Formats: sequence, structure tokens, C-alpha cells
Amino acid sequence: MATVRGCDMPDTLLYDIDANVWCTLDDEGLLTLGMTAYACSLSGDIVACMPRKPGKEVQQGKSCATVESGKWVGPVKAPVSGEIVEINHQVVDDPAGINEDPYGAGWLIRLRPLDWQAESTHLLTGRAAQDAYAAKMDEEGFGGC
Amino acid sequence: MTGGQTGRLLDTGLLSAVQNMAMNRALLSSRAAGLSPDTLRFLQFKPCVLVGYHQSVEQEINRRYCNQFGIEIQRRVTGGGAIYFDPLQLGWELYLGREHFNGADLGGITRRICEAAATGLRQLGLNASFRPRNDIEVAGRKISGTGGIIEGDAVLYQGTLIIDIDVERMASALRIPAEKLNDKALSSAHERVTSMRREMNVVPALDQIKTALQQAFESGLGIGFKSGLGLRTSETELVRESVDEFSSDEWIYQVQRSPVETPNCEARYKCKGGLLQLQMRVDLRHRRIKQCWINGDFFLRPARLVNDLENHLRDCPFMKLEQSIREFFTQHEADMVSLVPDDFTRLFQIALDPLQETAG
Repeated sequence: MATVRGCDMPDTLLYDIDANVWCTLDDEGLLTLGMTAYACSLSGDIVACMPRKPGKEVQQGKSCATVESGKWVGPVKAPVSGEIVEINHQVVDDPAGINEDPYGAGWLIRLRPLDWQAESTHLLTGRAAQDAYAAKMDEEGFGGC
Repeated sequence: MTGGQTGRLLDTGLLSAVQNMAMNRALLSSRAAGLSPDTLRFLQFKPCVLVGYHQSVEQEINRRYCNQFGIEIQRRVTGGGAIYFDPLQLGWELYLGREHFNGADLGGITRRICEAAATGLRQLGLNASFRPRNDIEVAGRKISGTGGIIEGDAVLYQGTLIIDIDVERMASALRIPAEKLNDKALSSAHERVTSMRREMNVVPALDQIKTALQQAFESGLGIGFKSGLGLRTSETELVRESVDEFSSDEWIYQVQRSPVETPNCEARYKCKGGLLQLQMRVDLRHRRIKQCWINGDFFLRPARLVNDLENHLRDCPFMKLEQSIREFFTQHEADMVSLVPDDFTRLFQIALDPLQETAG
């Protein structure tokens, strides 16, 4: 698996660099998303996770879940607009799972995109995503995962 | 606005909890949208209890007591645990652009802000210091708790300063079972929480406290906070809208969890080093410690290490207890007589054993 400054970044996923989330579209057109290893490292140990409820529509760039660590609350921003169809109850019950396996068991939400074609153009993958993250980490003075 | 070096000072005086929470939402959104400058706000509360954003009122608050004494119940937008607030405490809040923290992680931002606040308190004659993760303490006792929220490129970080405190009222308003609310529990709270009144012969005037904090934040963050700017019209409008939302049960009771999931438990462990006693509140759903209080008859110096250990173990998953206790004693130089770190692990295991069986 590729890494950037020690942070895992699977090549096959799509990344919203600004929102610091990964996502992947399945055959049924549903988008699974979660926090990147970089986002998890910035947060530290996550002690609470509250996704918005299934059936809710979220707008691109708006919060689709909140997470808490060290008494900080932060939003997880939706990379595209869509209707939430499923939430990961496992991470609601055990938020530490997000830190432990951000790209696997630590996924947060599945949503049905409203306009995937139009809203997904900013998502990057592979080398382009890694380069963009390296630049972001430099800009933010991030020391590494 | 890019959050330059000139910010705004607001002093909104004594407000209800819902008004203060609405201000949080309005000022943070406005700062995140680039519509308002960096801001330092001082605030005070009419009697209220505030649960953390992800907490359940049913689990944390004694609703019957609060209703009886007219104590307002509200939900914060920031994280952390439930607190009791009344006019005896001073609140401070910073609404800042993240660019001031140059890539620091959340722990780094917390440290920088809390160290500045501690500097301000030292100017007033208190021997205050930052205690990770989020407290400011005097001689091992908490005098200020803090928490934050991120929105876009802006942060809101807020803290309480305990000028004085009615410990009994605080303990009654927060959910502590009646049988625990005895002299021992109150004395335990006194050992862990302090106030300016308790620490100083003469408590400085409120204005003097605010000035010291303001100067320390200005110097620590490199931002000047100018008074006289007031709220923008758009912020006032947003406060009004947010009061409506935050007054609703949908907001206050949005997290519904049963108190059965967060039982209190206790243990005693007699070992070569003495008698260790533990009172603890756990979260069975997340299988972790919420809060713990250790006392008994044993030798551990410096004495503040007991409070530091309690703080270190907050939110610790049951599975990581042993590792976390060992880590703590590796990181801190402790003078113990016939006591070893594993004695503390054993103490927690004794308390947890019956719960583990119940939880299957």
C-alpha cells in the first residue's frame, strides 16, 4: 500500500483532499466513505462518532458525521451531495475502530450520490492523490503519521 | 477576512445557556465563513448543566434535581463531559482561524491555548499550569476545563474558570446516585477541583481576571483583541435562529442512551503497598472508563500523580487498561513504597470483573 509521510493511502480509493476523506463507488452506485489515516492522525484517539441518520440528505462539503477526540468535536464532510442509506453502527459503538482500520472496518457512511458525474470531478486517486496529500501536509506542517 | 492579527473582544455578560450555545454556533459559523474576525469572548451562565455534544442527558444529568431548582439543561457544541455552570464561574472562548496554529494537530492547538490561559492565571498569582489533555490545574487540582470544535478553517475553543464553586450543587445536578452523594464523594471532589476563592487570599475583581486572560491570549497567540466592535448584524440574526433550534428537545435530547449503560462501580485492593480504593464510572456500550477516582492508604509521590493517573485513564478502553497504566508509570517518575504499577491494574480488574461477566 502507498504511504505519504507514513500515512497509509490505498491506491484504489478516491480522495477528497480538502475534506480529508476517502470514498469508493460500488456497482450499485453507492458511495462508501471514511476518514483518511492522515485525518485520524490529526484527530488522535476518537472517542465518539455520530453519523447523520439514514434517509437524510447531505450537501457536498457539509457534515455527514461528527467525531470527537480529546474533547474536540469535528465534522466529517461529504465529498459529494447524497442521501445517507447506511451508517456503520460498529464505529458508533466502538469509535476506536476508526483509528484502527480507517479504510476497512472503520468506514463511516454509505450514501447514494445525487449527481455523481458533476460533483466527483475534484476527487483524486493514485499518484495524483498522493502528490496532493504530500503538498497539503507540507503546507500544514504535518510531521507524519 | 483571513484572520489577521487584529481580533475582536466581546463580553456578553450573564446569559442563559441556550443564548450562550446559540452564540457559539453563530460566531463559529461566521468566523468559518470569513465574515467575522478572530474573537475572544468572555461569558457567564445562569445556573445550568451542559452535556458534551456526543453525550446523553439521561446518562449524565439528574433531571429531577435540575427541574426542582430551575437549572437549565443544554447541549454544548463542543466535546467533553457534562458540567455544571452558574454565575460563580467565568467562561472564555476563542474563535480563531486555523492558520494561527500552523499545522498543529488538535493536541497541539489545545496545548497552545491552555498554556496561554495558564500564563494569564499565573499573572494573577495562581500557580497554574496546563495538564494534558484539556485541563488547567493548580497544585494538581482542576481550576479550568476546556474543549473545542472545528468548522472548516476555523476553531472554537472554550474553557471555564472556576472563580468559586458550590460543589454540592454541582454533584447533585450531575448524575451521581444518591448513595454516592455522601461526605466521601464531596471530599473527593474537593481533592480534585479547586477555585480561585480557595487558592487565593483575595480573589481579584472580575475585570482584572478578564484583563489578565486577554493579555495572555494576545501574547500567546499573537493576536490583539479590540473591544467595542460588537456583534455583526448577520451574527445577531444567526443567534436568533440558533436559539430556536437549541431550545428544542430534538437538540437537547438528540443522543438517547440509557443510564444503565454507564454504571458506577468500585473496588478495594489490599496489597503489600497498602490499601487501594477505586470508584469508577464506566461506559459499557463503548467498553471503556468514563471517569475514575482513586484513593486509599498508600505512598505515591508526588501526590498529584494520583489525579494525573485518573486523568490519563479517562476514556481508556477496558482492553488497553494494563498497557495504559504501564505507559503512565513509564512517562512519570513516581516514588512508591512497596507499590507497583500492576497493583493499579489489579484494582481496576477487580472493579471490572463483575461487569465483564454481566456484559458477556
